[in-house]
Amino acid sequence: MPESHAIAPDHLPSEQRAEAEALFTSIGDGAISTDAFGRITRINPVAQRILGYREDELLGGWFPKKIIAVTPDDTVVNLIDRPISKAFLTGHSISEKMHYRHKDGRIIPVAISVSPILVDNKPLGAIEVFRDITLQEEIDRMKSEFISLASHQLRTPLSAIKTYSHMLVDGYMGKLTATQKQSLRTIIGAADRMNELVSTLLNITRIESGTIAVTPKQVQLYKAAEEVLKELSLPAADKAITLSLRCRDKSRATIKTDSLIFKEIVTNLVSNAIKYTPENGKVTVTVRPRAKDVLMQVNDTGWGIPKYAQDQIFSKFFRAQNIVKRETTGTGLGLYLVKGLVDALEGTIWFKSDEATGTNFYFTIPRKTKQAVRPRRRRPTVSKQTTNESN
Amino acid sequence: MARILIVEDDRDLNNAYCIILKNEGHEVALAFNGQEALKKVQNFSPDLILLDLLMPIMGGLEFLQHYNRPKIRKNVKVLIFTNMENSPEVTQAYKLGAYRCIIKSWTAPHNLARVVTEALQAPAAAATA
Repeated sequence: MPESHAIAPDHLPSEQRAEAEALFTSIGDGAISTDAFGRITRINPVAQRILGYREDELLGGWFPKKIIAVTPDDTVVNLIDRPISKAFLTGHSISEKMHYRHKDGRIIPVAISVSPILVDNKPLGAIEVFRDITLQEEIDRMKSEFISLASHQLRTPLSAIKTYSHMLVDGYMGKLTATQKQSLRTIIGAADRMNELVSTLLNITRIESGTIAVTPKQVQLYKAAEEVLKELSLPAADKAITLSLRCRDKSRATIKTDSLIFKEIVTNLVSNAIKYTPENGKVTVTVRPRAKDVLMQVNDTGWGIPKYAQDQIFSKFFRAQNIVKRETTGTGLGLYLVKGLVDALEGTIWFKSDEATGTNFYFTIPRKTKQAVRPRRRRPTVSKQTTNESN
Repeated sequence: MARILIVEDDRDLNNAYCIILKNEGHEVALAFNGQEALKKVQNFSPDLILLDLLMPIMGGLEFLQHYNRPKIRKNVKVLIFTNMENSPEVTQAYKLGAYRCIIKSWTAPHNLARVVTEALQAPAAAATA
């Protein structure tokens, strides 16, 4: 039996030792304690059940070797990236989500909290408490699936309303009077607003409920931005707006981030730019690879953001007065959503705008974004330096 | 004029695309899921396929996987018509050889006609993804 000073040091009275051990054993989550060298000194019954090992198979073993942490695709996590290593190195408590390999080879997602045990600033060991979050992850996945399906199902009837209204306006079913055409255009405008609202609200729900999953993979940002511009080429063509994409060094624009969230950010910024730029204008997307991140820029020749409104641009439901007069259909949610999505990718967003020349939005995406199942429980924050919007 | 196969489970939208494309002078065949589409491509021999992604029985991605088999797919472009913008399904559709992805709710009839004309005039698509 190894020394047990991590939980109930030998010098303690036997009543206190018994109390500490009973407390450790009865913790509802998995709990493992180690000595100053990382050797396992205690493992409670819940931890044994989650990992599939008996107590005698683990006691005295070196924690990082006995308790195997892996990525979701079963690659062993580096020692330096293990929460227990970080806790020993920093002397602080560390909380993270990770995956442990069960004795039978299964991969178990776990939420871990590990604290160093310090006496007179000397590490005597560490205690790690963890719980199995398999069910929680499954619920998250089902929520995301539901949101995606609901979004699609709500939009299908709206597409039919819009398509048939357009067909009537375009004379597919015979000639209409000017008043009839105007009424149909009102229906089309309402369907557009409903569409925009559905997708924005569903995205905001994902962010605010913390169910937005960040899944980093190698992404060619130029190619991803190009796909977004292709999708938006039709609404741009309707206003004779020229869309262009620039990149100085495409080979350096491949980074590890979440492709879908990145495309959602670009889609929102570019569709905003199209919406708030007069006919025959220009919208340019620029990809600038840098040492630690990639700087994205969305530039338009639009109506710009008045100085007085620039502090509130990322606030929920905010719309600038110069825009409300010209364009009545916005929700004031687009940039609030964008800010939340940039936060989820650990990036930064800001802008420069002039009512005479248009608006430049900038956002950065770090070269490596951490994986997060439920990365953001907080609402998107609004900082003065990063506030703005052209809508 | 061209032969176009529309694969869309929503009957209202399927009918609308049919009217628009016939109005442009194209010959049109309809399918309401991927399985029906696989049968139709054999006899109808389309020049272009308009394909929805989320459909019952067989969705668009599964259709593309079957359609990409040797001897089935000829130099036919596939236009994806969906409301799932920026989704993993769209990325997968491109990997499976889709020519272009169009968002239904953003596309007016005249734009649909234009995109179809552009696709038909563009150089031939690769035989497989």
